[in-house]
Amino acid sequence: MSTQLTASIPRLKRIRPSQRMRNVELALLLAASAINLAALMLVQLGALGSIDLGPLSLCGLLAVLVLAIHIAMRFVAPQADALILPIATLLNGLGIAEIYRIDIALGNTGWDSLAFKQIAWSALALGGAFAVIMLIRQHRVLQRYTYVAGLIGVVLLLLPMVPGLGIELNGARVWIQIGTLTFQPGEIAKVALAIFFAGYLVQARDTLSMVGRTFLGMRFPRGRDLGPILVIWALSMGVIVFERDLGTGLLFFGLFLVMLYVATGRLSWVMLGLGLVAIGAVLANQFLPYVHDRFLNWTNAFSPAIYDENGGSYQLVQGLFGLAHGGLIGTGLGQGMPYITPVSQSDYIIASLGEELGLIGVFAILCLYLLLVGRGLRIGFAGHDDFSKLLAVGLAFVIALQVFIVVGGVTRVIPLTGLTTPFLAAGGSSLVANWMIAALLLRLSDSIRNEPRLVVGQ
Amino acid sequence: MSELTLLILRLGFLIALWVFVFFVVYAVRSDLFGQRVRRLPAQNSGGPGATAASAPSAASAFLTSAIPRLPAAETEIIASLAAPGSATDAPLRLVITSGDKTGQSLPLTGDTITIGRSADSSLVIKDDYTSTHHARLEIRGGTWILRDLDSTNGTLLGGVRVTGPTPVPWNTPITIGSTSFEVRR
Repeated sequence: MSTQLTASIPRLKRIRPSQRMRNVELALLLAASAINLAALMLVQLGALGSIDLGPLSLCGLLAVLVLAIHIAMRFVAPQADALILPIATLLNGLGIAEIYRIDIALGNTGWDSLAFKQIAWSALALGGAFAVIMLIRQHRVLQRYTYVAGLIGVVLLLLPMVPGLGIELNGARVWIQIGTLTFQPGEIAKVALAIFFAGYLVQARDTLSMVGRTFLGMRFPRGRDLGPILVIWALSMGVIVFERDLGTGLLFFGLFLVMLYVATGRLSWVMLGLGLVAIGAVLANQFLPYVHDRFLNWTNAFSPAIYDENGGSYQLVQGLFGLAHGGLIGTGLGQGMPYITPVSQSDYIIASLGEELGLIGVFAILCLYLLLVGRGLRIGFAGHDDFSKLLAVGLAFVIALQVFIVVGGVTRVIPLTGLTTPFLAAGGSSLVANWMIAALLLRLSDSIRNEPRLVVGQ
Repeated sequence: MSELTLLILRLGFLIALWVFVFFVVYAVRSDLFGQRVRRLPAQNSGGPGATAASAPSAASAFLTSAIPRLPAAETEIIASLAAPGSATDAPLRLVITSGDKTGQSLPLTGDTITIGRSADSSLVIKDDYTSTHHARLEIRGGTWILRDLDSTNGTLLGGVRVTGPTPVPWNTPITIGSTSFEVRR
């Protein structure tokens, strides 16, 4: 009787997940690639007056790589967020166009050309993102490697200090050199540390949020619970003192603070953290000449003595002049003079783009970052468990903090610190790290959506 | 190339950038990511308005209580994301009536609800009585059919052990181990 009934019901077909997200993604990817190619063509028309097919075909190859990732995701991550990949692609392409534009002005060709290197690194970074999506099929596996990730993060941070391996460039000791290849291990460290903070705070959030005494309407933690935040503060200060890299130190401490706040929901931690930042700033200003100079450049940027000084505010002021030259609609790609500013291809890429695309263009770029970070927070909100939520928020905030620190520095909102603008700036390590972040967010969004709807029992 | 053409091209480029941004914003709006409204027949006409109302409350919930531990409301929103096209008119619900999570419910959207200990089930029950893939609810011609997937300890429908595909009447307890749930309208 029962077998008859079973036979009368045909086997259910395997339910194919809806590909709606991927279709939106495909449309946006095609649009992003078209805009990227248009940017390159405009650069060539503006700076050379003619179209050169070489760079265009190289960027076409990158578009093909991105499409390959898209097609792979149709099979391995069909429910992943549809907007992250197109936004990252567009930012990456705009960066390449502007770097190429400055290469033309500086006369760099072949292997000297930063744009060529950037395209090669982009291909590598896309490969890395592809590997992350294919290898990590469930992001919660990462929680098992919480302390391994922490160790990797700290080791990567300290790697440039190893004699013979680390090299000093532009005053900061954050690079390592193997053969002719230079790399900034700190960039990868931020991904590892985001995983570590997420895993650690899942365990520690109860202790860090429940106990403490109330003071001024806020519940402050006990003295003995201050350990972790002091350790991270000391580590960040160590980066600032020994590697002379203000931006990276600020980034790590800010990341920990934000994740701590999201994990505990206690404003007192933010107050404590900001207090520690203030103490650190005063100490660094007092005892570290390079930090003191940064502060002076920031407060008195337009004083002639500081402008002319070696390591003075020349770069900062040139960037501001460039932005002013761009005005509302910009000089047009390939028609400005962004190459006057030192390191206009990496740290100052946003000023270069601001000059050639104007305020309207820069706001479009900032909107893209806003949407990217918003997607990350949205993924965190949809997460079912603490680890997924914290990881997504942490990864999104790494990007947000970097953009704030760089754009704030270039526009003289905060003192200038050397950090790379995610996806835009010339620099391989930064590209690889940010594409890894994008891939992790994609993986998170897919696995969060495939999670059970209701769990009974623990 | 004349100055004028270049000017037009570069203005066109800025417009293209912003069109992209607005297209992304549009995709966010219509995105499936947890902002869908539950399909109640009475609210079908007022869908967009209800979406707008639900979105800010979700956002503020995230900000005020930093990390809610699996709040029921969120579970519902996520669950409503399942493939649309269920054959029923009114949303049926699976309500837990005894055991650990008594009172929690799961909207019966989509075609299949899998029950078991494995993490890829729709309803995960983690106890000693539940098999990895324990049972399945699937819709056939507008009725939900319960199937026991050869589980070790069996599935009871109204106190009787289920041996083959059995239609599930409303408000009748389905028992798996120490957990019971009912299909309710």
